[in-house]
Amino acid sequence: MVFTSVIYFLFLFVTLLVYYIIPVRFRKIYLVAASILFYMYVKPEYILIILFIVIANYLLGFYIEKSSDKRRRQYLNISLGINLGILIFYKYWNFALSNFFDFLGLLRINYSIPFFEIALPLGLSYYIFQTIGYNLDIYRGSIKAEKKILDFSLFTLFFPKLLVGPIERAHRFLPQLKEKIYFNQNNIVKGSKRIIWGLFKKLVVADRIFIYQTAIFASSQEQSGATLALASILYTFQVYADFSGYTDIAIGTARLFGYDLMENFKQPLLAKNIGDFWRRWHISLSTWVNDYIFNPVALHHRQWGKWSIFYALLISFVVIGVWHGASWNYVVFGLLQAFALIYEFSTRKIRNQWSKKTMKAFYNPISILFTFLFITFSLIVFRSENFMDAVYFVRGIFTNSGNLFIDKPSTIIFIITGITVMMLNDLQVEYKTFKYSLLSNNNWLIQQLSYAALIIYILIAGVFDGGQFIYFAF
Amino acid sequence: MMFKKKNTIPFEIVKKFVVFIAILYLFDYSVGRILKYWYFKQDSGLLYRTTYALDSTKAEIVILGSSYANHHYTSAPFKERLHSTFYNAGRDGNYIFYHYSILQGILKRYTPQKIILDFNFEAFKKDEITYETISSLLPYYDNHPEIRSIIQLKGPFEKYKLISKTYPFNSLIYTIGIGNLEYNKTKRNKNYDEGYIPLFKTWNHTLTTDTFPRLYDLDSIKINIFRSFLLDCIKSKTQLYIVVSPSFTKYTYKDPSIQIACNIANELNIPFFNFLNDTEILRHSTFFADRTHLNNEGAQVFSNKVIDRILKTEKVKAFSFVKSQ
Repeated sequence: MVFTSVIYFLFLFVTLLVYYIIPVRFRKIYLVAASILFYMYVKPEYILIILFIVIANYLLGFYIEKSSDKRRRQYLNISLGINLGILIFYKYWNFALSNFFDFLGLLRINYSIPFFEIALPLGLSYYIFQTIGYNLDIYRGSIKAEKKILDFSLFTLFFPKLLVGPIERAHRFLPQLKEKIYFNQNNIVKGSKRIIWGLFKKLVVADRIFIYQTAIFASSQEQSGATLALASILYTFQVYADFSGYTDIAIGTARLFGYDLMENFKQPLLAKNIGDFWRRWHISLSTWVNDYIFNPVALHHRQWGKWSIFYALLISFVVIGVWHGASWNYVVFGLLQAFALIYEFSTRKIRNQWSKKTMKAFYNPISILFTFLFITFSLIVFRSENFMDAVYFVRGIFTNSGNLFIDKPSTIIFIITGITVMMLNDLQVEYKTFKYSLLSNNNWLIQQLSYAALIIYILIAGVFDGGQFIYFAF
Repeated sequence: MMFKKKNTIPFEIVKKFVVFIAILYLFDYSVGRILKYWYFKQDSGLLYRTTYALDSTKAEIVILGSSYANHHYTSAPFKERLHSTFYNAGRDGNYIFYHYSILQGILKRYTPQKIILDFNFEAFKKDEITYETISSLLPYYDNHPEIRSIIQLKGPFEKYKLISKTYPFNSLIYTIGIGNLEYNKTKRNKNYDEGYIPLFKTWNHTLTTDTFPRLYDLDSIKINIFRSFLLDCIKSKTQLYIVVSPSFTKYTYKDPSIQIACNIANELNIPFFNFLNDTEILRHSTFFADRTHLNNEGAQVFSNKVIDRILKTEKVKAFSFVKSQ
């Protein structure tokens, strides 16, 4: 059920109405049932996988908490084995097999077994990371195992975050489930506004860029360097608008039901360096990796000095890369981020000196621009089917001659308008640039008029046909 | 604010919600009306062609189809050799649903002497894109009840989406603007020829051969609409010709859609001309603007070939009629 579809909004309306009509004590079980229905809409049989994950992690959480040290470790390993086993089987098995056979081929051994024809269950990477985090937190003693299976089920299954996150953390979300949720006007208003803003980003910005970008990437060999450069810059905006738009709808939906999901984006395209970018981009994944991979690895090898940081960065960002999918270009994407962060770590003193010597009004925009260009470059690798495609694409930017391809001027005008509005909002949040704000104006009527105008603009400029969410694939 | 009972929906939010919906309705209605006014005020450009085909044309020969139709059938030979008025109502990126809707709009007003339907390769393929292209008919939903059932094929909620007055003009605001510009009218006079849009590029590539038949699922809705198209023409006594245009590829296999269309046409006694592998045209890469479309020179040659076939068919028909008398 795509968040921008009519069927989703019908589902949301009915679910929300019933939610506030039924007695408070039934609301959580009702939400679990609604979430199961939501998940079953696409492929009903996958509900068995997620229910197995819920039950297994619920029980293992208890065993980890109650057992002695040695047994705790064993139960944690079982939990990791189950969660990662399912993830690897569905997401990485065929990739691993294909690489293994390629390796055997290099040794002139011809051997192969058939690949599994399996589709990745929607949202698997998100809820598996969530349950892994839950059991690791219990193992470390930072949270208690959840006693109520209903609460744990809702923690895992809550439909707004089920398919594309945010990857919630137990210490944030489980306490919210202990509260009784009553109807609150503020939640409805704020939730609805967030959903409208998410729809704008997704339908007006991301899906409009998609039309141009896919046409260019599909025929990259025949496009001029200027066209390829424009398509890759637009792709950066598209991924941001697509993923953050989805997250806005998820957060807004959760808010309607009285729950507060974690923020996943904080104006990442205004980041001044790559470290800063990863503190603002897909925050729920980067903090997860920071807590459960980077810190333990760096601590474990602390005797290596700064090399422990470099090593931890490499491991963490390869995991982030591979988390996106079973392909070498994601590994390269992760490595690029890691190398950039290693560079930043190694040169931080020099760069600090430069920044002090240079005018802020000059240094900051330049930093933002360079960070944006690096992210754009790494997203070419991310977007390509394989690594060599990315190499040809980048080479094409510098070598292909010809004019800038603009299929329809209206597409470009829609894109520029959409990006401008989206980035002006980010600038406002980041720097409070404008004294007068429409969408968060103190005057109630101006605010209503602004949101009504935004909806009309979505109707005028949104793309209502096609348009899948990029991050569904992960 | 404080609520006495936490779990009740307070009156104030209902009031605010009603006000918001009223504002939204007002905005939607006003913007929709403005866009509608400017949409139908156009007298040139891409969108105007559909309006003209549906509401105004009285041509004796009408061409229907997608981009092939639009760029392959030039008016002069049809007018001169068949002594009839001509309008090319082909529109890029539109398929059988669009053609059928235009036919409905035309037959509601008058009966053309001849209709030429340019039939696409893989036209009956089951896909979503064809249904998405129905969007180009949305502005006509209010004024053309005869095409509403086609528009509703776009999706189960289309009828409800069309409650909005702005939605039918989604993504069109800039195109409407262009259609109302003086510059565009000048351009139209220069390049447009009774609906025909010529392409002037030349494709200097060698002929490709397609030897791999692509398997695809057939869409029974599209097949039924195609059959209805043929039956409606028969019913209205319009002579229909179905033509498959050439593209700069030689196909060594038979496309299932073309075969089905040919069978239906034969069954209903409608002439079906397949130029897909026409060697005379494929011999000249200079007749093509790109891999799939003829340029102006190619269109002249092709139009004359179509007319030759039409004249030949009519001659045979007339001969058999005389013979039967």
